[in-house]
Amino acid sequence: MKNKANYLLLLPGLILLGLFLFVPLFSTIFQTIRGKEGLTLVKYFDFFKDSYYISIYLRTLKLALITTLIAVMLGFPTAYYISRTNKKVRGLYIMLAVFPLLTSSVVRSFSWMVILGRNGIVNTILLNLNIINEPLKLLYNEFAIVVGLVYLFLPLMIMSLVGVMENIDNDLMEAAESLGASRLKAFIKVIFPLSVPGLIVGSVLVFTGSLTAYTTPQLLGGSNAKVLSTLVYQNAMSLFDWDTASVLATIMILTTLIVTTIINKLSGKLSGKR
Amino acid sequence: MALLNLKDVSVAYGDNVVLKDFNLNIKKGDLVSLLGPSGCGKTTTLRLIGGFIQANKGKFIFNDKDYTKVPVHKREFGFVFQSYALFPHLSVFDNVAFGLKLRKTPKGEIKKRVMEMLDIVGLADYSKRYPKELSGGQRQRVALARALVIKPDLLLLDEPLSNLDAKLRVKMRVGIRKIQKELNITTVYVTHDQEECFSISDKVAVMNEGVIEHLDTPQNIYDNPKTEFVANFVGFENFIDLSLQSKNEDISTYNSKNGRVFKVKSTNINSNKETIKGAIRPEEIKIVNKGGDNKDENTLDGIVGISTFLGKEYQYMVDTEVGKLLVNGNTNKRYKEGEKVKLYLPKEKMVLV
Ligand SMILES: Nc1ncnc2c1ncn2[C@@H]1O[C@H](COP(=O)(O)OP(=O)(O)OP(=O)(O)O)[C@@H](O)[C@H]1O
Ligand SMILES: [Mg+2]
Repeated sequence: MKNKANYLLLLPGLILLGLFLFVPLFSTIFQTIRGKEGLTLVKYFDFFKDSYYISIYLRTLKLALITTLIAVMLGFPTAYYISRTNKKVRGLYIMLAVFPLLTSSVVRSFSWMVILGRNGIVNTILLNLNIINEPLKLLYNEFAIVVGLVYLFLPLMIMSLVGVMENIDNDLMEAAESLGASRLKAFIKVIFPLSVPGLIVGSVLVFTGSLTAYTTPQLLGGSNAKVLSTLVYQNAMSLFDWDTASVLATIMILTTLIVTTIINKLSGKLSGKR
Repeated sequence: MALLNLKDVSVAYGDNVVLKDFNLNIKKGDLVSLLGPSGCGKTTTLRLIGGFIQANKGKFIFNDKDYTKVPVHKREFGFVFQSYALFPHLSVFDNVAFGLKLRKTPKGEIKKRVMEMLDIVGLADYSKRYPKELSGGQRQRVALARALVIKPDLLLLDEPLSNLDAKLRVKMRVGIRKIQKELNITTVYVTHDQEECFSISDKVAVMNEGVIEHLDTPQNIYDNPKTEFVANFVGFENFIDLSLQSKNEDISTYNSKNGRVFKVKSTNINSNKETIKGAIRPEEIKIVNKGGDNKDENTLDGIVGISTFLGKEYQYMVDTEVGKLLVNGNTNKRYKEGEKVKLYLPKEKMVLV
């Protein structure tokens, strides 16, 4: 009796999800495999035959992976440091870390345009110091996209890691040291494996975020460095080619699912347990 | 020569000086306990020896080498934490093997030594379990095995039994002592449980506010504490102000404020002060008989106050000429409140501090 009533509580959420997420999602996917005579994968074959699309697809994957890796490398030590500070200071650090999330991604991208542009801050400084003779091309390329994405998603990585790391008892580090591990060894053998759950959550968030981001690659990558999401937009809104847009969208979703699964599998190996 | 030697060490957390000009010597193979009230600096001393905190001043000599600046992982000391600090992501076997793997011990030997050690602590059947699948006592034994398997030069234990129930504590402390003796590992053991500490130690260091007040064998500390603090800490509940009359080689004579004469064994005199405190345990005071002659040595007249039942004996609060004293009496007779009694304080049981 009681249990049935509990399920009722789920109903509003399920209806909302079903109506506004699953229905459009599945109709989009269905769209892509419907041919003149029944179901067909021909649109996907077409996609993978087109070298232009392939190159954009690979670039998207590459940028998402690089962004994730950089976020891990920058996030890990930062998160560890934050997790070892005392409670009061930790709150402040976490505030600082999530600060970028509090502004819109358009604003953030524009500020990077100011920094990286032809007459931007970086170029001005380098020119004035006579390190370079003409402005570097820092904007409208893959580099700019990665910078923007790392800046955008690093807080997610840090938050996920801090959440896990602050629960790791300091005694464990000391125990490892007393058994003969240098600080670095102790970190690798104890802190790292125990942080893997946070690393996984963080990586999945950053990867899916980077793979599907639109504003940042659009504003910082321009037309030179197109990615899947900008391509979807172009097809749907400029070319009115909804079929191709749907195919691209579906591929994006599948890629996210596959990579997420792989990261999860990998985590089992990394933490060395189960 | 001492194996371990702390020389005039000072440790402070910010402005809070915890250890001041601290000295400690430990002989090879000994189990020395640090005993003292909460906050007196026991853990601090242990962590200093372990290398987790640095001294502001002073030296730590170990095996004739200066260890003051040697980092933790180069010290080869086994440390058992109060929280056990087992690695949650590793099985019992891998927890114990952790130190050996770091030393690049061959696989076969690791297996042999780990299983041997698990056998000693009685956990051979649990090697595949994870820490969270163990009881408190089992975790404690894993922590002990993990520290011992590297054959440490020194074993440091921080209240390793404090999370266990009374029965298991007794069993485990006997176990620890047995292993420690078998492997002849010099050990520093921190506890605030007096019985535990007396039962397993070769030497006991009673600490108070960052200073060792008395370092001696359990028997000597129990019978003849050197300071008022130590006497109080080990159960001398009664203190009487005395002043010296005459000092002799064997027996000395003291007077209480109201003129009572007390004879004391001279070996029990631990201070040269003129006015001194005579300390005695409640269970050593004898209730001789009602009222009567006050001229006797080592006696006091008093009136029985509140009494409580301790199980083996009754304990009375007796209001005497020199103040209130706690006195134990056997269960044959329970004295009533207001009854007059005469107390006898045997000279060999009194300690002067
Ligand atoms: N990390 C620290 N920062 C500041 N003060 C500390 C720190 N650790 C301990 N202290 C202080 O140092 C003093 C001694 O602490 P310590 O932990 O050595 O006591 P202890 O004898 O082990 O007590 P307990 O029996 O309660 O464990 C205490 O007054 C304590 O407040
Ligand atoms: Mg302590």
